[in-house]
Amino acid sequence: MSAMTVLRCWLALMLLLALTTGLAFAPLGSATLFVSLTVAAAKALLVLLLFMELKAGNALIRAFAAAGFFWLMIMIALTAADYTHRTDVRVPLDNPAD
Amino acid sequence: MSDGALSFQYATPDQQRETVALGMWAFLATEVLFFGALIAAYFNYRIWFGAEFIAAARMTKVVLGTTNTAVLLTSSACMAMAVSTFEGGARRAPVVWLLATALLGVAFIAIKSFEYWLEYQEHLVPALNFDLARHGGVAEIFFMFYFCATGLHALHLLIGIALVSWLAWWIGSGRIDRAGSTTRLIGLYWHFVDIVWIFLFPLIYLAGRNG
Repeated sequence: MSAMTVLRCWLALMLLLALTTGLAFAPLGSATLFVSLTVAAAKALLVLLLFMELKAGNALIRAFAAAGFFWLMIMIALTAADYTHRTDVRVPLDNPAD
Repeated sequence: MSDGALSFQYATPDQQRETVALGMWAFLATEVLFFGALIAAYFNYRIWFGAEFIAAARMTKVVLGTTNTAVLLTSSACMAMAVSTFEGGARRAPVVWLLATALLGVAFIAIKSFEYWLEYQEHLVPALNFDLARHGGVAEIFFMFYFCATGLHALHLLIGIALVSWLAWWIGSGRIDRAGSTTRLIGLYWHFVDIVWIFLFPLIYLAGRNG
């Protein structure tokens, strides 16, 4: 990787950091989480593809790299699906007749 | 980790390098899930406690957190320079870049410690001095997550600083073979620790800033 690529990547990371910090204070309502995570994913992609050289890596290495994130997405999606649909069920301990 | 000549089971240096990188990525995938479990817990808390949980996140120090993100991203750039100058055949440059990487890592830990100290002063440390009456139970859960996540990240970073310092010492004394993969592997580990922080930063420091 050339010094120029490293410099460009670093500049892009700094710009994204400034962008996400600025946007965090903008009145975006509940979209703010989505926005900040999208910027985080962009930053992570820059690090993965350039600094960790996945862009130049072979398909097997890329598949291994993607596998961890893929299973993580499944884990987060399924747990979130569970917890968002749980209602607060209170067992009627005081009054078993209910 | 053997860094010398080609090990007997490989046909070419390229094959050895690919195999070693593959092994590192298999380890990093387990690390993704290790930190991922914490992040999944964070989302569950956020779903369950909503606004109260997000309000607790506002008590974190956003200026220090943002500074630390910049420090860590810069350290990754230095690490990338170390790998590229080392593989390009330079002798002194990789040592200088590695020392810069380690120093930025130390700076990150110093800022983080200062932050922990501020939080201690504000009675925000669960199991140590958390002021339940002042901050509330949901805030305690948030800070439990905060100290687990940032503490484990700091531990990974300390291991990284030790590895990078050792590598600088060994490259400086000419004990690392240029055909080997040690430098590249330690680089992968360092960048991974950076990626963990890239995701922790918005979840911890940027949540609830617009409310």
